[in-house]
Amino acid sequence: MKRSYLTITIFIVVFGFLFATNAFAAPKKLVIGHPACLSGKYAKAGEQAIGGIKACIDWVNNVYGGVLVAGKRIPLEYKYYDCESKKEGVTSLIERLITVNKVNVVFSAYSSGLTLAGAPVAERYSMVYMDHGGASDRIFQQGFKYIVQTIGPGSKYHVGTLDMIKYFDPKAKKVALAYEDSEFARMTMGGAEKHAKKLGCKIVFKRTYPKGVTDLTPLLSDMKARKPEIVVGGGHYEDGQLFARQMSDLDINVKAVSLVASATLPAYYKALGGRIAEGVMGPSHWEYGVTFSPKGAKKVGLDWIGPGQDEFVSLFKKALGKDIIPDYHAAEAGAQVLAYVKAVENMNSVDQDKVRAALGKLKFMSFYGGWDVDDTTGMQIGHSMVDMQWQDGKRVIVWPLEAATGKLIYPKPKF
Amino acid sequence: MKIFVRGGDFIYKGNTQETLSESLSEVFSNRVKEEKMILTLLAGNLIHGLLLGGVYGLATMGLSLIFGVINVVNVGHGQFIMVGAFVALTMFTVLGLSPVIAIPAALIIGMALGFFFFYTVMRRLIRAPELTSLLATFAMGILLEEIAKLIFGADFRGYYWAVGKITLPITTIPMSKLYAFIGSIAIALFLYLWFSKTRIGTAIRSVMEDSEGARVCGVNVSWIHALSFAIGIGLTVMSGVLLTMFIPVGINPYMGGGYTLKAFVIAVLGGLTSPYGAFFAGLIFGLIENGAYTLFALIPGVAPFPLTVSLAFWMLFFLLLVKPTGLLGK
Amino acid sequence: MKKTLPKYYPLIPVFAAYLIMFLIGFFVPGMWQMVALLAFYCALGQSWNIFMGMTGYVDFGYVTFIALGTYGMSLGITYCSQYEWLGIGIIVIGFILAMFLASLSALLEAFIALRLRGAYFAIACIGINEGLRYFIEGAKIWGGSEGLIYFGALVQALGRDTVNQLTSFWADFSVFIIAALAAFLNMHYMRSKIGYALTAVREDEDAAKVMGINANKYKTIAFLTSGWLGAGVGAMAWGLKLGYVYPGDVFVIHYTVECIVVVLLGGAGTLLGPVVGGLIYGLSKYWLAVIMPGFQLLIFAPIIIIIIVAAPEGVVGLLKRRLKGTRLEMFIE
Repeated sequence: MKRSYLTITIFIVVFGFLFATNAFAAPKKLVIGHPACLSGKYAKAGEQAIGGIKACIDWVNNVYGGVLVAGKRIPLEYKYYDCESKKEGVTSLIERLITVNKVNVVFSAYSSGLTLAGAPVAERYSMVYMDHGGASDRIFQQGFKYIVQTIGPGSKYHVGTLDMIKYFDPKAKKVALAYEDSEFARMTMGGAEKHAKKLGCKIVFKRTYPKGVTDLTPLLSDMKARKPEIVVGGGHYEDGQLFARQMSDLDINVKAVSLVASATLPAYYKALGGRIAEGVMGPSHWEYGVTFSPKGAKKVGLDWIGPGQDEFVSLFKKALGKDIIPDYHAAEAGAQVLAYVKAVENMNSVDQDKVRAALGKLKFMSFYGGWDVDDTTGMQIGHSMVDMQWQDGKRVIVWPLEAATGKLIYPKPKF
Repeated sequence: MKIFVRGGDFIYKGNTQETLSESLSEVFSNRVKEEKMILTLLAGNLIHGLLLGGVYGLATMGLSLIFGVINVVNVGHGQFIMVGAFVALTMFTVLGLSPVIAIPAALIIGMALGFFFFYTVMRRLIRAPELTSLLATFAMGILLEEIAKLIFGADFRGYYWAVGKITLPITTIPMSKLYAFIGSIAIALFLYLWFSKTRIGTAIRSVMEDSEGARVCGVNVSWIHALSFAIGIGLTVMSGVLLTMFIPVGINPYMGGGYTLKAFVIAVLGGLTSPYGAFFAGLIFGLIENGAYTLFALIPGVAPFPLTVSLAFWMLFFLLLVKPTGLLGK
Repeated sequence: MKKTLPKYYPLIPVFAAYLIMFLIGFFVPGMWQMVALLAFYCALGQSWNIFMGMTGYVDFGYVTFIALGTYGMSLGITYCSQYEWLGIGIIVIGFILAMFLASLSALLEAFIALRLRGAYFAIACIGINEGLRYFIEGAKIWGGSEGLIYFGALVQALGRDTVNQLTSFWADFSVFIIAALAAFLNMHYMRSKIGYALTAVREDEDAAKVMGINANKYKTIAFLTSGWLGAGVGAMAWGLKLGYVYPGDVFVIHYTVECIVVVLLGGAGTLLGPVVGGLIYGLSKYWLAVIMPGFQLLIFAPIIIIIIVAAPEGVVGLLKRRLKGTRLEMFIE
């Protein structure tokens, strides 16, 4: 009996090796695999990510001329399936990408949960697994060897926001925290709470609300009674809309409102019918209008790769065939393509372990901003965030001051 | 010395009698203040809960009607609510019409959808095993979601219908919420009158009671089936419009799932085959959902929002154990 | 011996289907996770079918068992992985915990079944499922809404290679085993005293009671069996395989609906039904996702409608009717 176990085990190992070694053979093209979320609850972010990836691949193949490996320029290719935003889909599709499509790298699906679901499969095939949608710090405490993060860790989101408010109004004291009860938003909340206390603020209200909530009235009434000056919170796009809308319904007027992952999206203003969004802020990894350029990269001593911002936006529109402005989901997925290209070129190889090692050492700048991951865990540490505010229907970057495209309106106009 | 006061304990550090009594009175005045605040909050939340409950009630009546007449569990219920939300959104943003006009439009669109689905799919399944129709409604739900995604994209949208708000001493109520509530009460009332006073309403009720008996009495049962299915879907789509008047954001193809579950629970709470029971159960559900939050928020170390939802479901569970056919069931 | 054999004939096509799936998965590269997905759907359908086929109760809250199974495994691994001497034993502990939690909820549902019938029973079970989910989130027990992430703990306790084996082969393999076991138990119950007793109860409960059949005992057995199988699938396919659990990811009624869809597509109350249904459901979803990502559900929904209109009693139901009187009849149940 034991023997048969052994045989099966050996079989699996041999099979695993066979596929792993196949990927080492001299490549004619580099394939990026992606179990995308085209339908289901993350369909919105999934579409953006696909657009961003396609745009950057287009740039690498047609403008950059292909990836330089062993003296040859080889093109990138993109293979994606739809996982329906479900964990069952992710595992089987990733395996198909690795074994049937023989991809060279796997990009994760959106969200921390789906990223975690796919990680063991990628790990088993020793495949570099790049995460552009899972912001949870805990993903990187599980000892996965091949995972690399592009998106910044959730805990940093509201740190800059609080710094900014303290800078403009040192007297602001009463902070209310109201976040969605999701992996990412909880991280943000933890970071914000710690930082607010460090700045000497008083936390007058701290609550979470569940995912998929449709009515925040009780929570917001409670918050109103605590009379906060600064409100930070949010979690995803839909509840961010609801949050501002119902704050306005309940006439909760505060000095500053900053919502993660929603206020920064271009459609936010329209979805709220304009006026309500006026003055609402949000931290973001990337925003249309940030000014990262090859010049700026030189100044801080980093390599630059990739399209400029306007070039990226036009490529993105071409890739999706729709006239929509990319948001940060698109930018981080696009930057991930560039990071992979850079890593392969640095190592002059497509070997998984070598590429993973190169990604660990890699430091560069693109339209998305800086990129640098922790060598062993793969966690993103090099990317810093910006804060934007809606002013007259436009998104204005207000923090950090050196990247700002306008001045903060403080206190924010009444709802 | 420690003085325990609700809302956190207060540690007393002074040593003379005077300061003690002073701080004690301060503590008590704080406590009174706190209690007053909680009561205000509770009252405000109950008002919002009542308003929301009205819309919930209307959103569930369609489900009860369809189950009552043709014995079909519509698991695609929420997706029809989503259709209503998109009707309101499109009429508002593209045609510039107020959601009030979208209400009759949604009824017509919903009934058309209802007739279409009935004659293409459901009619063939009425005699099939009970659960088979469930599968059909499941597929219908998916189909609606995907068609909506194809037309409108996966984006979350919203609209802003500026009709002002009323400020009460305890809370602020946007007028659009009030209109939605009045609308659902009016529709429910109209439906009640229609059911009890008109011939066709009576026929529907008779089919609900006893399909065979109705047939014997000369009621065209298959037409009644089609009509009730269409009215049920029409009501549901219409309630989608009212729901967007209540919550005008977060409109997207996948918004329906959560409402299906809520509607199921409310329908059972109300006795399953009784549309009015469903309406009252909706009111109760809204009140619990909003009222309990304020009370759970007093317990330290827990998340009140999920506990509130949890309570609503456990209540349903215990209610069923005590009264196995729901509040207004026979 | 000869007399008892024929009654298990209908198992042959079921086991054959599982064997073929297993062999395809094992030898065709890139197919393993896919057949694992199919086995997952088949196993769920099969276990749900025991419940519904034997007792006539439609359990909408069935996903509670799967979720509790996942939690059992998660708790076992999270809290026991610190004891190094346990080794692979932590998975056994996890499995036992899964069974224990599932038993509790099965007994609870059996208790409800004494009082409620039909849709009321179904919704009461939904009530338990949602009540439990939000209680875990609200009261912050078992990690609350932050869930448990324990892949790292697993790696630390058992070593990377073992864990890779476990998560990407043995977890799926045990789903196969559970699926086969579910089919066998289903068949066994159908052809033994418990099956006859439950049929009698389903037809006329009062008459059965007069005949001296202890209806509650047999119902409870069926509930427990079905609950254990569901928890087993949850513990393996979600708990061990994925290495994390969030309450909002597992207590999802949609999975119950999927179970029902699988069973009804194939044919409710039949032995082969869940397998055929699982294959149709899983394969069409998978291939459509591969061929036309983003549009698969748009095509998938009409397919379901067409199948259900053409064969309201399920594919196997239709087959059974067609094969009546032929020699193949005894293989289809």
